[in-house]
Amino acid sequence: MQNAKDTFYEMLRGRLAALNPGRTIVLRGVVRPGVLVGENELVSTAELPDCFRLRWTQVVCDPDGALATLALQCEIDYETAGTAFNGGMDRGRALSAMDAELQAAVNVAPLSAIKNNYAGLASGAAVKPMGTSIWWEQVVFGKTEIKDERLARTATVMVMSYEETGEL
Amino acid sequence: MGDRDGMVRAADAALRSNGGGAVLLRIPGLAASGDDAEQLGLATPQFQDLLLYPTAFRRNDSVVKLLVSASAVKAVVGSLAFDSADVLFETAVGVVVDGVLYAITGSVATQAEGEPLCYSLTLRAPVR
Repeated sequence: MQNAKDTFYEMLRGRLAALNPGRTIVLRGVVRPGVLVGENELVSTAELPDCFRLRWTQVVCDPDGALATLALQCEIDYETAGTAFNGGMDRGRALSAMDAELQAAVNVAPLSAIKNNYAGLASGAAVKPMGTSIWWEQVVFGKTEIKDERLARTATVMVMSYEETGEL
Repeated sequence: MGDRDGMVRAADAALRSNGGGAVLLRIPGLAASGDDAEQLGLATPQFQDLLLYPTAFRRNDSVVKLLVSASAVKAVVGSLAFDSADVLFETAVGVVVDGVLYAITGSVATQAEGEPLCYSLTLRAPVR
């Protein structure tokens, strides 16, 4: 399960960074692409604007078949106050730009990627490609929410994966 | 300037006489650039504990407050090149009081003539 989550994040980060290299965040003193997984960061980063924040909210396991199939629900939160130079009057356009980037990153074929095992990174080892892939459905956009001066949205993507033998 | 320094020293003296304990401000180290292990939650950053003294700790049911000397905060902000005390508190993971890590949910500066005398931190106790 963890490998599927990690692979989806890496895929999404790479595609979003390619689409808009200028969408970056500064987190603990380092500039990185504007996408993060909330459960992998300090709690204080939860409301960071102008970036995509992934949350894994639901897991459904289908044990039938040679390999169990997992369906993981990924909720992607993002919000923006527009640009200060424009007094925030472009926040609607800024949110639309984020919508378009997310749609392009998730919905463009292929909607699948080779699943990788990233556990070795903790000890300096290389990433290991696995025998199966992850695949995902098209992104579903939620309603626009108004959070004080910010416009926010939550989009949802269902990510599927076969659970390989011995996988955590 | 002399009056302001005097007020800061008076505030520190008041904190010492109302508890005067020392606490540790826990801040995360810099992230490793381009390190996927950190972004995937496989590696955690190093944490640094900074001494804040004098302070006064108050806990009343669910409300937990910590008064911190502005001179102590100023020393930390200056030595670590933070933009302001607000940024310091927002960056911090929390405050360690008697071995317990409390999250910082808010900070307010008490000022006199534009000079911070002490900071009042609202803390959230860990879930037991």
